[in-house]
Amino acid sequence: MKFPRISVKPTLFKLLRRLPMPVMGILIGLVAGLAVWIVLDQVQSKAVERIFGRELSMRLDLRARESLIRFDQYMANYAATTRLLANHRRLAQYLEPLFWFPGEIVDPVVYAGFRPFWLPDVFGRNALLAPSHVLLVDSRGLVREVYQAGDQPLPPELATDLGQWLVDLDEVQTVLARFGDRPFLVVSDRVEDASGYTMGSLVVLVPVDAAFLAASEGSFSADRSAVALIDADEQRILASNEPQQLIPGTLLSEWGDEYLVTSQSLPAYEGSNWNMLFATFIPQDIVEKMSSKVIDFERNQRLIAALVFIAVFTLVIYLVSARLNKVLKRMTRFSQRALGIEQPGFKGGGNQLVLLEEWMQHFTSLVLRAREEMRRKHEHELRETEALKAAIMEASLDSIVTLNQAGAVIDFNPTAEMTLGFDRERIIGTDFVHAFVAPSDRANFIGLLQESRRRGPSGERPHARTELRAVRNNEQLFPIEISIVPIALDDEPVYTLYIHDITKRKEAEREIKGLARFASESPSPILRVNGAARIVYANAASQPLIAAWETEPGGPLPTGWCDQVRETLEGGETREYEDDLGSTIYSLLFVPIQELGYVNIYARDITAVRRAEQESRQHQAELVHVCRLSTMGEVATGMAHELNQPLSAIVNYANGASRRLKSGQDERAPLIDAMAHISGQAQRAGEIIKRLRALVGKQQPIRSVVDLNLMVREVCSFVEFETAKLEMQIEQQLAEEAIPVDVDLVQIEQVLLNLVRNALDALEEAAVGERALIVSTRRLGDRALVCVQDNGPGIPPQRMDQLFDPFFTTKDSGMGMGLPISLTILEDHAGTIRADSKPGAGALFEVELPVAMREAGITDAPDLQLIERPRAEGTQG
Amino acid sequence: MSKSLTVFVVDDDQAMRGSLKWLIESVGMQVETFDSAHAFLDAYYPGRAGCLLLDVRMPVMSGLELQEYLGRREIRIPVIIITGHGDVAMAVKAMKAGAVDFIEKPFDDEQLLNSIRKALQYDEQHRALHARKAEIAARLAELTPREHEVMAMVTDGMSNKDIAAALSVSAKTVEVHRARVMDKMRADSLAELVRMALIAGGNL
Repeated sequence: MKFPRISVKPTLFKLLRRLPMPVMGILIGLVAGLAVWIVLDQVQSKAVERIFGRELSMRLDLRARESLIRFDQYMANYAATTRLLANHRRLAQYLEPLFWFPGEIVDPVVYAGFRPFWLPDVFGRNALLAPSHVLLVDSRGLVREVYQAGDQPLPPELATDLGQWLVDLDEVQTVLARFGDRPFLVVSDRVEDASGYTMGSLVVLVPVDAAFLAASEGSFSADRSAVALIDADEQRILASNEPQQLIPGTLLSEWGDEYLVTSQSLPAYEGSNWNMLFATFIPQDIVEKMSSKVIDFERNQRLIAALVFIAVFTLVIYLVSARLNKVLKRMTRFSQRALGIEQPGFKGGGNQLVLLEEWMQHFTSLVLRAREEMRRKHEHELRETEALKAAIMEASLDSIVTLNQAGAVIDFNPTAEMTLGFDRERIIGTDFVHAFVAPSDRANFIGLLQESRRRGPSGERPHARTELRAVRNNEQLFPIEISIVPIALDDEPVYTLYIHDITKRKEAEREIKGLARFASESPSPILRVNGAARIVYANAASQPLIAAWETEPGGPLPTGWCDQVRETLEGGETREYEDDLGSTIYSLLFVPIQELGYVNIYARDITAVRRAEQESRQHQAELVHVCRLSTMGEVATGMAHELNQPLSAIVNYANGASRRLKSGQDERAPLIDAMAHISGQAQRAGEIIKRLRALVGKQQPIRSVVDLNLMVREVCSFVEFETAKLEMQIEQQLAEEAIPVDVDLVQIEQVLLNLVRNALDALEEAAVGERALIVSTRRLGDRALVCVQDNGPGIPPQRMDQLFDPFFTTKDSGMGMGLPISLTILEDHAGTIRADSKPGAGALFEVELPVAMREAGITDAPDLQLIERPRAEGTQG
Repeated sequence: MSKSLTVFVVDDDQAMRGSLKWLIESVGMQVETFDSAHAFLDAYYPGRAGCLLLDVRMPVMSGLELQEYLGRREIRIPVIIITGHGDVAMAVKAMKAGAVDFIEKPFDDEQLLNSIRKALQYDEQHRALHARKAEIAARLAELTPREHEVMAMVTDGMSNKDIAAALSVSAKTVEVHRARVMDKMRADSLAELVRMALIAGGNL
C-alpha cells in the first residue's frame, strides 16, 4: 500500500490535499483490485489449464480403458459360451460312436444354413451375436465338420493357420485373427466323447465388424464417441462401431482433426497373424466444450475474489480515515485550547493524513520556540540564583565550605575564614580533613562524607549531620556541628559543609546537664508527665514507684491519676496527694509547669510514717473493742455459756447414776467414777466464776478528757438502727459549749448506751408516732449533767427502790445487770445516777459527772470516727 | 430396739461427751462419741443405723454445718441438735434443715431419752421403707415394657377390657400379662399390687 508523500510535486500535493481519505481509499482500492485481478488472471488461468488438461487426458484415458474392458468382457463371454458348447451333453453323445482316423484325408462335412444336432442355440440366449462358423476339428488339426451360418464360406487361410491356435488343448483359446481385410474372433476348446476320450477341438469363428463392436460397447456411446479395431502396421481402420462416420479401410491420420484418438494394444489376444490395436475416438468438439466450461467458471470466481478484495480494502481505509478524523478533531480542540493555534484546515476537510502532518510540523516548530524561550528564562534564573547564593554565602552565620570529591577546599565564605582561622590565599586546594578536623574525629568525618552520598529507597538523603571537634589555627580545638550536603554536578560531585561553632552551646549544655543531675541524683522519685499523663521523665529512684504503677517511662500514669494531672495543670497550683500501693505509701507533690504543659511529680516514701500512724490507730481500736467486749453484757452471756457446759455435764452424770441405781445396775466402780466426774465438773464451774471475777477486778479505767456532748452524739449514732426500726428519732438537746469530763470514754459511753437502750425498750410499748426520747446535756458549775427522758410506760413506784439491785429486771431477756454495773462505773468516776418516773408518762435518768479540771487537753476524739462501729448487742442487759 | 442401733454423740467438750455417754448407756443403748465433726465423718459410713446427737457450737465445723453436709450427701441419719442458752435462732435453723428434734442445755434426761428413742424409731421405719422400695424396684425391673404398661393401667383401676382396648390386644392377652405381673411382683392380690405401686411412687 502506498500513501501519497509530502515530497511529490506541489500540484499533485494540492490535489491530494483536497481529496478526503475515504474517496482516496475507494480510488486506491479500485486500482489495486484491478491490478490484482489482472495478475491473478494471467497467472492462474495457465495453471488451471495445465491442471485441467491433465485431468481431461486422464478422464479420456479412463474412458478408453472402459471401452477396452467392455470389449474384452464381450470376448470373454464368447470364450465361456464356447466352453459350454464344447462340453455340451449333445456333442458328447454325438461324438460317442465316431472315430476319426489319424492321417485320413477327408473333406469336412458342411452344414450350411441349418444347425446340426450337436450345436444347440446358446448364442442368442446369451445376447451374443451368432458366430459365422462353428468347426469340429480332430486332434491333429484337421477340420471334420463345419457349421456355416450365412453365405460366407470358411476363410481358406483358416485351414492352414488353425494348427498354431490349438497348441494348448486344456484351456479355451481366444484369438483375434485377420483373414484378408476382415478381423475374426477365433475361440477353440477341447471336446470329449461321452466316455471321456479326447476327440479334438470345437472352434467358433465370429467376424469382428460394426455390429460386433456396437454390441460389445452396448449403449455407452451416447456422446458420439466411437471405437475401432486398427491394424498397427498399416495405421488403418479395420472395423468400427460407427461405420458411417469411421469408414473401415481409411487411414487413422485422416481422423486426427475430428477426433481425439486413444489406441490400446490387446496382448492377451495376440499370437495372431497381425498387429492389432483397439482405438477409442472422442469428437474434438465435445472435449473443447468440457474444458471451456471449466475455464469460465474459474474466471467468474476470480472476478468475485477481486471484488471482495476491493470492498474490504475500501472499508478498511474508510474506517482508518474515520478514526483519523476523530483524532484530528480532538487535536484541533487540544491545539486550540492548549496552544492557542488555529487549524482552519481541519474544519475545511481534505486529506486527514496531510493535515496531520502539517499540524505536527506546526506543533514541532511551536515546541522548539517554547524550548528556546525556556532556556533563556532558565539562564536568567541561574544568574539570579548565583547572585543569591553568593549573598547567602556572604551573610551566613554558619561557615560554609565546599569540597571537591578528593576532599580539597574549592570554595568558602567569610564566616568560615573567621571561624576556622585560615590563610585566605593558601586555603584553596587544601585537604580539609587534615587541615581542620581533629585527628580523633577524622575517620568519623570521612564516614559522614560517604554516608551523605547514599540515598534512601525513596530518594531522600540520609541525615548527614554530626558533632565533631575542629582545629583552629593549627592548634586550638573547638566543637562544631557539621552538616554535609552532596551536590551531584555533572562532571564531579562536590560536598557543601555547613559548620556551626557550638562552643557556647556545649558550655550551656554542660551547665544544664549539671543541673539536671539534681533530679537524677535525688533519692526520692521525681517524675515529669505531660498533659496526657504520659511519663516524660523519671529519675532512677522512681523505678519502684513506676513498677508499682505497672507502667514505664514514656507510658501513661494509672488512669486514676490522669484527672489529678489535668486538674493540677488547669489549676496552676501545687497539689499534694497520697498513694497507698500496699507495700509502700507515697506522698505525691504535683507541681504544674504550665508554660511547658508538664506536671512535675515529687514523690516521697511515707510508708514508715503512715504505718506507725496506722498501727497506733489499729492498736487503739483493738483496745477499745476489747474493752467493749469485756463489758458486763458480753461477760454475762459468755459466762452463761461457759457455766452451761459443766452444769449440763453434772446433770447428765447425776441422772445417769440415778437411772442405773433405779434399774438395779449398782456396780460401784462406774458409779464412783461418775461421782468423781460430777465433782470435777462442779470444780470447773467454780474455776470459771473465779476467772471471771479476776477479769473484772483487773480492769483499769483509762482516763482521758472528752467532750460529753461528743459522747452523747456517738451513743445516739450507735442506736440509729433501733430508732429507725421504732420509726422515731432521738432529740438531742446539747449544751452549746463543750463539757469536758475526765473519764474512761468506753465505760461512760457504756453507761449512756445502757440508759438509751433501756429507754428504747420501754418505748416499744408506746404507740408509733408518739414515741419520744430526749437526751440533753448541761453544765452546772463543776458538774456535768446528762439526762435521758422517754415517754414510755414508766417505772412502777414499788420498783423504784430495787432499780439498782443486781439481777432485778423487767425484761424477758434481761439479766438485770445493766443499771447495777452503770452505778458501779459512775461511782468509780465520782459521779451519780438518779432515776425518776411518772407511771404511764415516762421515765427519766440523770447522770452527773465532775467537769474535768485539766481542760486544756480536750481530745477532739477524731480517731473515734475511724474506729469500727461497736457491735449493737454490746450492752444487752 | 435392735442391737445394731447406735447413738452417735458429737461434742467438742469432753465432759459433755462423757456425761452423755454415761446417761444414754444407763438405759442400755449403744453410744459412740466423737470430739469433732471430722472425727465422726471419718468413722461413720452411710447406712449405719442409729441417730446423731450434735452440739451446735463446735470449732472448725459446727453442728449446723455437719448437718448441712450430711443433707447434701443424702445421708439420712436422724439428727438431734443440742443447743446452749439463747441459741433459739440456731435451733430453728436446724429444724428447718431437717433435724428430728433440738434440746436446750442443761436438759431434762427423760426428754433427751424420749427424743433419742423417737429418732431411732424414725430411722428404723425409714430404713424399712427404703428396703421395701428397693425390693419393689428390683421386682419392677424384671417386668417387660408391655407388662409395665399393663401394671400401670391395672393399678390405675382400669378393667381388663379397657386395657385391651387401649393396647389394641385381646382381653385374653391382657389376662396373661396381668397374671405374669402378679407373679413377678409376688403380689397375692390386686390391693397389694396397688400398695407396691404407691410405694414405688414415681418409679413406676
